[in-house]
Amino acid sequence: MIVRGPILRSRTVLAGIVILVIGAFVPLFFSGYVLGLLTVAFYTAVFAMAWDLLFGFAGEVNFGPTFLIGLGAYTAGILDARLSPAISIWLCIVAGAAAAVIGGVVLALPALRVRGPYFGLTTLVAVLILQNVVVVFAGLTGGEIGLSVPDVMSVSETTNYWIAFGFMAISGAILYGLARSPVGLVLQASGQDPVQAGALGFNVTKHKLFAFIVSAFFSGLAGALMVFYMGTASVGTFVDISVGVQIIVAAVLGGRRTVMGAAIGAVFLIGMGEALRPLGELATLIVSLIALAVVMFFPDGFLGMLQKRSNDG
Amino acid sequence: MLFWQILIDGFAISALYALGATGFTLIFGVSGVLNLSHGAIMVAAAVAAWALAGLMGAGPYASAAGGVLIGMALAMATYFVTVRPIQRSPRIAESEKEIFILTATLLWGIIISETVAYFFTNNAKTVLPIVEGVVTVLGVRTPTNEFFTAAICWVAIGLLWLLVNKTRQGKAVLAASMNPRGVTLLGIELTSIHLAVWLIYGLLASIAGILLGMFLGVSSYSVGPLTASAFSIVVLGGLGSVTGSLIAAYVVGYLETATAYLVSPAYRTIPALLLLVVVMYLRPQGLFGRR
Amino acid sequence: MLEVAQLTKRFGGLVAVKDLSFSIRPGEILGLIGPNGSGKSTAMLTVMGVIAPSSGSIKLEGAEIGGLPSHKVARKGVGLIFQHSRPLNRQTVLENIKVALIPDRLNMMFHSAEIDEQARAIAERAGLGAVLERKPPTLAFADLRRLELAKAIARHPKLVLVDEPFAGLTASEVGAFSELIREFRSEGRAVLLVDHNVKGVAALVDRAVAMYLGERIAEGTAAEVMRDETVRRVYLGGALTRTTREAAAFAGAAHLLAVQDVVVRYGKALALQGVSMHVSEGEFVAVVGLNGAGKTTLFNAISGLVPHAGTVRWNGSPLGGMTAASVARGGVVQCPETRELFGDMTVRENLDLGGHLLQPADLTQRREWLFDLFPILRDRESQVARTLSGGEQQMLAIARALMMDPKLLILDEPTLGLAPVILETLSKALERLRNTTNLTVLLGEQNVTFALPHADRLYVLDHGKLVWEGPPDRFEAEAAETYL
Repeated sequence: MIVRGPILRSRTVLAGIVILVIGAFVPLFFSGYVLGLLTVAFYTAVFAMAWDLLFGFAGEVNFGPTFLIGLGAYTAGILDARLSPAISIWLCIVAGAAAAVIGGVVLALPALRVRGPYFGLTTLVAVLILQNVVVVFAGLTGGEIGLSVPDVMSVSETTNYWIAFGFMAISGAILYGLARSPVGLVLQASGQDPVQAGALGFNVTKHKLFAFIVSAFFSGLAGALMVFYMGTASVGTFVDISVGVQIIVAAVLGGRRTVMGAAIGAVFLIGMGEALRPLGELATLIVSLIALAVVMFFPDGFLGMLQKRSNDG
Repeated sequence: MLFWQILIDGFAISALYALGATGFTLIFGVSGVLNLSHGAIMVAAAVAAWALAGLMGAGPYASAAGGVLIGMALAMATYFVTVRPIQRSPRIAESEKEIFILTATLLWGIIISETVAYFFTNNAKTVLPIVEGVVTVLGVRTPTNEFFTAAICWVAIGLLWLLVNKTRQGKAVLAASMNPRGVTLLGIELTSIHLAVWLIYGLLASIAGILLGMFLGVSSYSVGPLTASAFSIVVLGGLGSVTGSLIAAYVVGYLETATAYLVSPAYRTIPALLLLVVVMYLRPQGLFGRR
Repeated sequence: MLEVAQLTKRFGGLVAVKDLSFSIRPGEILGLIGPNGSGKSTAMLTVMGVIAPSSGSIKLEGAEIGGLPSHKVARKGVGLIFQHSRPLNRQTVLENIKVALIPDRLNMMFHSAEIDEQARAIAERAGLGAVLERKPPTLAFADLRRLELAKAIARHPKLVLVDEPFAGLTASEVGAFSELIREFRSEGRAVLLVDHNVKGVAALVDRAVAMYLGERIAEGTAAEVMRDETVRRVYLGGALTRTTREAAAFAGAAHLLAVQDVVVRYGKALALQGVSMHVSEGEFVAVVGLNGAGKTTLFNAISGLVPHAGTVRWNGSPLGGMTAASVARGGVVQCPETRELFGDMTVRENLDLGGHLLQPADLTQRREWLFDLFPILRDRESQVARTLSGGEQQMLAIARALMMDPKLLILDEPTLGLAPVILETLSKALERLRNTTNLTVLLGEQNVTFALPHADRLYVLDHGKLVWEGPPDRFEAEAAETYL
């Protein structure tokens, strides 16, 4: 009777380390094009991991992760566009993360008071509102065309890659560690059975709010960083609901509640989207079809299926 | 004079919103599903009508009818391809089914709109109108189409009301939205109720889409905003409440029209959104919501 | 330790708990007994803070805890063992217990060895040592209940609330659990047991409080409460009378409904254990048993609402595989305990829906017949069902089921929560049906006094098994004593 639980956990960690090592060597062998693609994938991975924390552990389905991401991205972008060069981009990034956290709290207040589909609805409405505000106040935000920021973190593809890679690794480690910690255990309890969690002495609202804030922080931070990688911000890249759906699908594809799975799913999805680009307009269609198939027939996702197999074996 | 213009334009656009929202809320009330492919079905029906007229030379009535049939088929497909399999899936935990259905319908909507864009491009299309010309009413020159649109919307809503409140089958549907178990106990198969509801929904959404196509034109870019507005209206009015949706549709429609005329067309979505925020904070279940 | 004074809880117009007062000393086990709807579970949940009281006071060691949210009540030293096990299915048994030990802080980043040790010790005590690393979906039912107990132990509560401790357990498991609960007592904790069956917990409790319709009706030792007149009247339904018709008429008749070896599981719990019974055409058969005995499960299996093993035959052919709606169309119509009315529709609309398979002329005729059977429904014809009283709703539910022109009418607990005056009306209506129609009825009841006069034959169902079958005149002699 082998103790399987810990072995799988350390297996996941092992796999994570292997992947990180591989990732570290990528710049030596691949072109700037691939590096750029992976950079975007890494930021998306953080979006997905932050979403997984909120959904998988606190049990709340956030249909608008892009609300938080968009807040982070646009706050950082607008500050830089308006105040540069008087303001350092790192300050803008911090401001972006802060804005996302505030946004997360503002969203959590009505959202945590309601149950079931209404929570998801509230998050969807939040995205709609942000989208409309960005479009309407185009003078400030660049509207549908987008916002150009004068500064970027680096012009070197390799440096950008390292920043994104490092950020993803650290965020992943923190989020994963959080998920495995006692606090993570309590979050899981709050998500699965709030009445029981309350009866066991846990202030469920406090814990869910905490999950919201952590998710918002990482989402906003990643969004802000990505603005200074791409040099632009637009509704189509940061706020649109279809971007949000991509994030959700990435987390489901990789395996919900595994944190690492979300990262794997994100990289896979971005990679696949790119691989299908030659097909032109069919690309989105095919990715959506595959995503639908995953959602319907493989809801446990990649890591989820692996875990199940080792549990039953 | 501006007042009458706002009144008339607002009435027409609100009627269109109302028709779409009614279908959307009906599906939620009976099937428990928030169909995020709503906009895609509307646009697909409109584009189908346009294609039938433009590419096959069908007349306005025939192409409209064809568009409706295609829309209804798509609605049925939505139920059988995305909703039902998930509802019956043993692989997904009960508590997570709603979320999965939401995601699946959203993806399905993207699939439909990408397919439309692929075959017919992203360009805006206007459906061959059934009614043309301009009339002057109360000192305002208005396209006759607007009155036609409002009339058809209300006829459709009226027929729906009659169906649900006065026919035996309609009452069964209404009963199913109150208590599905009760309906089963009376020997009525829930599957046939779901089928009926999705068919009706397809009809309503298609008509709304085609009318919109005649009135203002559609493109695959309209998909997102259409779903978003139906969804905001239904949330405002209260999920599952048809009365709520009707009233909310008019509130939103008039807010938009008034803002467009009095302030600026660019800001027309703002007041409705503000209202939505207020409602989400104070009364998340909407004006008439009960679930 | 615990002092509850004039506790009242209202849900809108319904008074679930009314002026309830009781107290528990440390090292004492108090049983709160009552049938479904008596308010006992509501009272317990109110003490725990899961539900907020409408008025009254709840004091723990002298300090007021009424109205506090459940996590604060828990931190003050109250533990709750839910009736239905609620494990975290994705965590191991050990992790489940650890959750109960973790403090309510946001800064616990690392697992402590101390908590791990404590969790293991608690698991041993609860008898879970062998399954620490397994996940709840793989555990046996009794082990899941042990897990609930372990979580409660982990809270080190001063007061333990236990909801239906023995539901679903075998006799030997009941013994093991009783031991664990007794340990709470010897540790000086106070225990509140909530159950529907005095007999079942008699050996365990020091004192008992009996409840009915939200109020306390008796208090004392378990034996005293069982002998109490009011308790007997309310639970058994009072003195048993009988009016029978010629039961012999059914002796050799063909079985209209034949149930054979039906087994139903809800997850791990065995709800029905190989039940076999039958009903002949025109017969009125009653299945009596307490809450949780399995009556509703049996009816749901017959109606096709719940999957089951074994066969149910209707008119000779098996019902297995048919949808619930087609079973109803085939003549087996159930009027469930929850009634399942269409709340926002009028009485008339509810009835008309029941008659949806009939021709308009037949529908009108049938409706008129039912208005004759239940005159009050005629008066309330245009009233919305949700606004009817409990008794009127029950009559509507029965009438609607009868609109289907059933061959077999299954009535599940029609008298639950109704005032005696309504019982009279229902009784008379059943009598009329029995004498004037060829309707076959399967009646499920806790209230034996109500069921006896209308039964040609009775079954007694206990913990998912049929323990007695016979005519009503033999019931008092043979089964009544063991029933309460």
